[in-house]
Amino acid sequence: MTAARLLRHETILAILTVLALIVLANLSDKFFTAENLLNQGRLMSEVGLVALAMTFVIVTGGIDLSVGSILGMTAILLGVFWQNVGLPLPLAMVAALLCGTLAGLGNGLIITRFKVPPLIATLATLALYRGLAEGISQARSVRGYPEWFFYFGQGELLGVPFQLWLLGLLTTIAGVILGLTTFGRATYAVGANETAARFSGIRVDATKLWIYTAAGFLAGLAAVIFVSRVTTTRSDMGTGLELDVITGVVLGGTSIFGGKGTIVGTALGLILIQALKNGLALSGVKGDGTIVVIGVVLIAAILAGALFDRNRGG
Amino acid sequence: MRKLTLAAALLGFGLMSGTALAGSAWTGGDDQATNPLACDATPAAAAAKDYDGGSPTGAPDRAGKPIKVVDVPKLIGIGYFNATTKGILDAAKELGNVDAKTDGPTKANIDEQITFIDNYITSGVDGILFAANDPVAIAPVLKKALYKGINVVGYDANSTPDARQWFVNQAQFNGIGKALIDDMAKEIGEEGSFAIVTSTFTTPNQARWIAEMSAYAAACHPKMKWLETVEAQEDNNLSFNQATTLINKYGDELKGIFGMTSVATPASAEAVTQAGKCGKIAVVGLATPNAMKPYVAKDCVKSVVLWNPVDLGYAAMMVLRAVADGTLKPGATSVKAGKLGDLQVINGSEILLGAPYTFTKDNIGQFDF
Repeated sequence: MTAARLLRHETILAILTVLALIVLANLSDKFFTAENLLNQGRLMSEVGLVALAMTFVIVTGGIDLSVGSILGMTAILLGVFWQNVGLPLPLAMVAALLCGTLAGLGNGLIITRFKVPPLIATLATLALYRGLAEGISQARSVRGYPEWFFYFGQGELLGVPFQLWLLGLLTTIAGVILGLTTFGRATYAVGANETAARFSGIRVDATKLWIYTAAGFLAGLAAVIFVSRVTTTRSDMGTGLELDVITGVVLGGTSIFGGKGTIVGTALGLILIQALKNGLALSGVKGDGTIVVIGVVLIAAILAGALFDRNRGG
Repeated sequence: MRKLTLAAALLGFGLMSGTALAGSAWTGGDDQATNPLACDATPAAAAAKDYDGGSPTGAPDRAGKPIKVVDVPKLIGIGYFNATTKGILDAAKELGNVDAKTDGPTKANIDEQITFIDNYITSGVDGILFAANDPVAIAPVLKKALYKGINVVGYDANSTPDARQWFVNQAQFNGIGKALIDDMAKEIGEEGSFAIVTSTFTTPNQARWIAEMSAYAAACHPKMKWLETVEAQEDNNLSFNQATTLINKYGDELKGIFGMTSVATPASAEAVTQAGKCGKIAVVGLATPNAMKPYVAKDCVKSVVLWNPVDLGYAAMMVLRAVADGTLKPGATSVKAGKLGDLQVINGSEILLGAPYTFTKDNIGQFDF
């Protein structure tokens, strides 16, 4: 658990990412342009936001499978609060975000109060929140949002997509919290050895509660941006999002057994996957081929990480 | 033990709330106005409407020049879109000046489809053909394509009109609704009960058909009883399970199942076969002939309703070429589509492929898709 070792995985990943960027830029002259890269940033923002919280979750040795469903539910609630309940849109956004946060808090309570393993608890809420989304929506889409609302998902600030600013800001905050604060150290301690952490006086349950609540909040935030980007709400929004998020986090070097992982790693993992998806598509590789390459890269990166650990007597 | 009970209770609640909160009309229909056809075969008159499609900005002159076209269907790897792809490639070959390829997500996912189109805009194509997973969600990225001077034509599943130039309509919704309900009434009688297996309640085509079916049944077969609509997401396994659940849930009351997708119909037929209910429960639905041949041969399924998706892809490609050449302009009343002849323009910016087609034991052998 030394800083040096943590740095090593990220170094490998950074080199891999730079290599991928160089290769992809050579494969297609459309890839390494400011316009394309910013656009890709826009497309990965929703996954990126949720991945920040997921890094914390996995570092504690947990998992949150319900984030995609929370995204779907928050999206639907945004539409319902605005159109059916008649709240002004800004208020509807806040209310929907609050519900997303509560959904995350719900996960945290089930996990900490009832000692349900996170995998089981969030598997259940994956179904619960998606079911609520479908039930509440009455299977109808909500459309016709005012023009200003599309700013969050489609607008630009100083030439950079709005959500990329948000993602950058929150990534920095998450990085600081995980890397430099007491809360961050508590997070690692919970994941490394929960019993030891408990006996060391760390507030294990409170830490977890905060983290799952944050996951709900960020999934809700991603929902608002997603709705703004695609201009409609559907109850199936965010289906499968949890897999994209977990893939990015794990590729970023966060150990699924807990106690290990960084925000920088997660960011690199997400960038690598997005670059591969986009770059391969631009150089004429079809969708199915791209998935194969991503699978191979994922396995290679994880094997490399595992070998590395063994060599160091990990 | 308590943990498990809690998880099960949560899971159960989640599943139940999905159905318990559903509305009173036929679930799965949309809330747009319906226009049921006459109970006999009187054709509907086409109402005149101004062009309401979009137009690309600063498109280069592509008349007669080679163009690069990408086709992004809802998903790839299923029989239906393989057939439209075949039609697109046939047309491209016949035209000789089109480089066409199909690429898209392996699941009918709005976000992935948007990303595919976005990437092809960046890579610089001349034309985009699409079948939308969601009419509104796909609109921003299609508008971006138009803004970049790309010709955009939809087929199979529409977007909002101003996000594309033309849409090739495979069959009008009320036509399909009438064909399905009439076929079902013929098989289970005027007082039979039936259920519907659809993709998702918000998938535009299926929602529209169900709404039209509901309206047509109310007008022309008022005693038929609708039991339930279930979602199966164009997933083979899920469709089979949903159909099996319906058979077990309603028992002898269930006389017929509608399959609303090319995945749900064969899966429902398989469920009926495995339940040993062939002849007792009719399956009527939309499907590709190849998937239905075994069930039609065994007399388990009598009518399969569809249009010809190869023709649909072919027409879409022909329309895109005509738009790129400038021969199809806003205000036109028909378009020449190669071997299909003149196709009629309807609803302002849509092109009608023709009347729906019912495959039966007598003719299904002639089709291979």
